Amino acid sequence: MTSAFLLDMSRCIGCEACVVACKTGNELPVGRQYIELIEHTSGTFPNLTGGFQNQRCYHCSDATCVAVCPTGALFKDDGLTRLNRDDCSGCGYCVQSCPYGVPKMSDGRSSKCDACASNVGGGGSPWCVTTCPGKALKYGDRDEILAEAHERVDAIKARYPNAQVYGETQAGGLGLILVLPDDPETLNIPADPPPTPASADLWKNWVQPISVGSTAVTVVGLGVLGVIARRNHVAEMEEIEARKAAAMAGGDAERGGDDV
Amino acid sequence: MSESNGSETILRYRRTPRIIHAVLATSFLILLFTGLALVWGPLAFIAAGGWSRYLHRIAAIGFMLVPVLYVVFDRKSAKEILVDSFKYDSDDVAWFKKMYRYTLGRTAEMPPQGRLNAGQKLHHSAVIVFSSFIVITGIIMWAFKSSLSAEMLSWTAMIHDLSMLALALLLVGHIFFTYVYQAWSSMATGYVPKEDMELEHSKWVEELEHEGAENTSA
Repeated sequence: MTSAFLLDMSRCIGCEACVVACKTGNELPVGRQYIELIEHTSGTFPNLTGGFQNQRCYHCSDATCVAVCPTGALFKDDGLTRLNRDDCSGCGYCVQSCPYGVPKMSDGRSSKCDACASNVGGGGSPWCVTTCPGKALKYGDRDEILAEAHERVDAIKARYPNAQVYGETQAGGLGLILVLPDDPETLNIPADPPPTPASADLWKNWVQPISVGSTAVTVVGLGVLGVIARRNHVAEMEEIEARKAAAMAGGDAERGGDDV
Repeated sequence: MSESNGSETILRYRRTPRIIHAVLATSFLILLFTGLALVWGPLAFIAAGGWSRYLHRIAAIGFMLVPVLYVVFDRKSAKEILVDSFKYDSDDVAWFKKMYRYTLGRTAEMPPQGRLNAGQKLHHSAVIVFSSFIVITGIIMWAFKSSLSAEMLSWTAMIHDLSMLALALLLVGHIFFTYVYQAWSSMATGYVPKEDMELEHSKWVEELEHEGAENTSA
């Protein structure tokens, strides 16, 4: 079983209650927030359409941020993408790699929604879910969330013909299932985010461990060999010295002989 | 050539190349550890505040200045490192074939070598090649990181990391040979025992004696 959020954008009124609840509940300092409401409008007056983009972590199964995170500060747990800021080195690779542009740098470390890990771990709900007045947000078992998302889309199809579920398959399946009244591009959400590049896996799971391992082996190996080689060289130098001394002694003896 | 403690020594490195070597060594070690702090969990706390990343950039400038310092202040060393290190003669090839002996601390039967032995040439050329990769990928990540895709970033960082791995392994080897042949004085005072040079760099000693004889006769 994995968990997921339901975010029904046909019900989001852009009140920002979730933004406030998240910020206060998680005690985020000035300058840090996990949710951002961005208003999008299109068309020309009087034929305007629009909506709110509820920008937050999409909790990808195929999470590029986790794949590139060199320290393991970002990791998958219960289908969600958690962030342990204590382990973050602030390299910024996640900021650069997220197909949704979610993680931000704050105080030299990455910052993003961790699905209220501490709250949920204690049996509670994520702050944003508890506060949403429009019932646009829900949290629970991913299969159930997905089933409800499809029901909600069916219910609004007559009003919004392009209504669709987003997140069932994108990025390996998201932990944030969206009910969208229109195509994702209208809310600046990529219809098909690029998958995690194979190079990220090669880099993190092969190159990095092999680098550390081969350096350690070389240090230990050459450390031992160094002691042996130094001993060999000292012996060799002593031998050369002895040979020289013998040659000189021989020369002296020869010269001594001439004197006689 | 000078006499000290009863054994004759030869000047192997003048002050300028020793100072430039110190700049290279210091900047490299800072780059290694501040770089490691970015990618290795146990050191992450150093980088997280951001200051080690500034230090990384400052050291990077020092590292990139090294070839400039050589060319401006010490053309002779610049030529030795940038040109001579890429030229191998038949003695060098023969030296490589017996390199295992040299690695084991045995120099007696090694083919005669010039001022640089074949291993030092290989070390120099490898340092130049991998440092070039480091500098190019480093500049890309420093200046153009925000416009790199996830794939480009991982390739760039991977080449950067692998080049640093190669340089770190070369450093371990460098320290190994410095210890086995007690070569520290060549960078500390610049002088090395003539006896060692006759054994390890006989063609260079002959060259020096030839030059000395020429100067004396002139």
